[in-house]
Amino acid sequence: MLHGLLQFLSNHGIPQGLVIQATFYGIAGLTVLFAFLVVMSRDIFHSAVFLVLTLFGVACVYLYLDAEFLAGVQILIYIGAIMTLFIFAIMLTSDAKTRLARKIDLRIALSAGAALAIFAIFLKIIRLDAWQPQTLSPTPLGLTQIGKSLMTDFGLPFEVISLLSLAALVGAIVIGKVEKK
Amino acid sequence: MFTFLNLIFMVMAGVMVLGFIAVSAMFLIWWERKVSAHIQNRYGPMRVGWHGALQSVADVIKLLLKEDIRPTKADAWVWWLAPFFAVVPSVMAFVVIPFSKELIPRDLNIGVLYIMAITSVCVIGIFMAGWGSNNKYSLLGGMRAAAQIISYELPLILSMITVVMVANSLSMQKIVEAQSRCWFIFHPNLALAGLIYIIAATAEVNRTPFDIPEAESELVAGFHTEYSGMKFAMFFLGEYTNVFIVSAIATTLFLGGWKGPLLPPIAWFLIKTYGIITFLMWVRWTFPRLRVDQLMGFAWKFLTPVSFLNLAIVGLLLLK
Repeated sequence: MLHGLLQFLSNHGIPQGLVIQATFYGIAGLTVLFAFLVVMSRDIFHSAVFLVLTLFGVACVYLYLDAEFLAGVQILIYIGAIMTLFIFAIMLTSDAKTRLARKIDLRIALSAGAALAIFAIFLKIIRLDAWQPQTLSPTPLGLTQIGKSLMTDFGLPFEVISLLSLAALVGAIVIGKVEKK
Repeated sequence: MFTFLNLIFMVMAGVMVLGFIAVSAMFLIWWERKVSAHIQNRYGPMRVGWHGALQSVADVIKLLLKEDIRPTKADAWVWWLAPFFAVVPSVMAFVVIPFSKELIPRDLNIGVLYIMAITSVCVIGIFMAGWGSNNKYSLLGGMRAAAQIISYELPLILSMITVVMVANSLSMQKIVEAQSRCWFIFHPNLALAGLIYIIAATAEVNRTPFDIPEAESELVAGFHTEYSGMKFAMFFLGEYTNVFIVSAIATTLFLGGWKGPLLPPIAWFLIKTYGIITFLMWVRWTFPRLRVDQLMGFAWKFLTPVSFLNLAIVGLLLLK
């Protein structure tokens, strides 16, 4: 989708780099800001709404990578299904309306430390590669290719993930089941 | 060269879509009142214009002039943002609706997936309205909407996937092209998918017999009880836009889209789409509302297994 738009604009004298720079940093910045608000918000429902916006931002970043299918699936699964269930669970929680007091205690310090440690590990991984910029193939990856590779090259991981989801589903039912006396 | 003519053309296309949405919603509200009235042996609106045709225009002016009341205990920005979340995704869905061969804002190669994804965001708006209003009826309405939309989204998507499997593409135009010889609703492998789609779509847009999120007799008006003036109008606009979208998808996926003899393609598309909408209205005004447990039981114990079975059978038939 984005690919086509860029093509259209560059056909009309606006270079691709300019469009990407003008929009990408805005979207990426907003995504990070919303992610920050998810953890800093005092109201759990507000956190959920910010998380929706963050996930939408991530879907936009996928568009910059020309991964349209992934962007669509990101919105469908994460916003349409997972966040809907999150919010549903929040609504069923009886004391969700209580706002947390904003104070700096040991728990916050520990989680900030953990987050920074994970960030440091990611930074190390990112630094491992030299990241040579490559030119994009003119045609975005087709759905047929994605489907075929899911069924052949990635067949085993795909099946393992479905098994994992099934196990989680059964587990949820077992936990949620009311004991009959 | 980038000319201002192109820019003007792009802006005009956007304005055309927005204008179409507004006029279509106004027409549908009048049409719904007329259809319901004639089903119930009465006339409906008759005073403003020919057979009340301008009644919706008068109503829009009234809504624009009404005071915007904000409940003091509301969760301010969640309450304020909710109508936008309810309307914007359904407007965005118009990007891939093919009115004719040329008249489509953009024929994305992930068309069907895009529609599934973008329309699934609407429910967040209903949640936000239900929660932000800080009112028990709104909250109950929001929760019912959530439960219902999650449950019926599965059969809806599964029935759309069977069409994608037969047409071999996610692009809306290619799906229309695949129906040049035979509409998919008459295709032996897809007739059941069409039936599942129309049932699940009725539930997705919260219409009777599946309108428990806003059941008037139990919940006042459900999630939009606390909204007035233009914000209420936006929920109304979103609702009728969603009705149009699901009917336009039904037209494209099952009724051959804009294809048809003699008349221009756009006329065929609109005739088919408004025909489906009229069918949905007919259903709405003749069936009683389901109970919550009946609704959920129907979705999980009947519709979802049947659509999985249908998907598997169509897959097997395609393999041979």
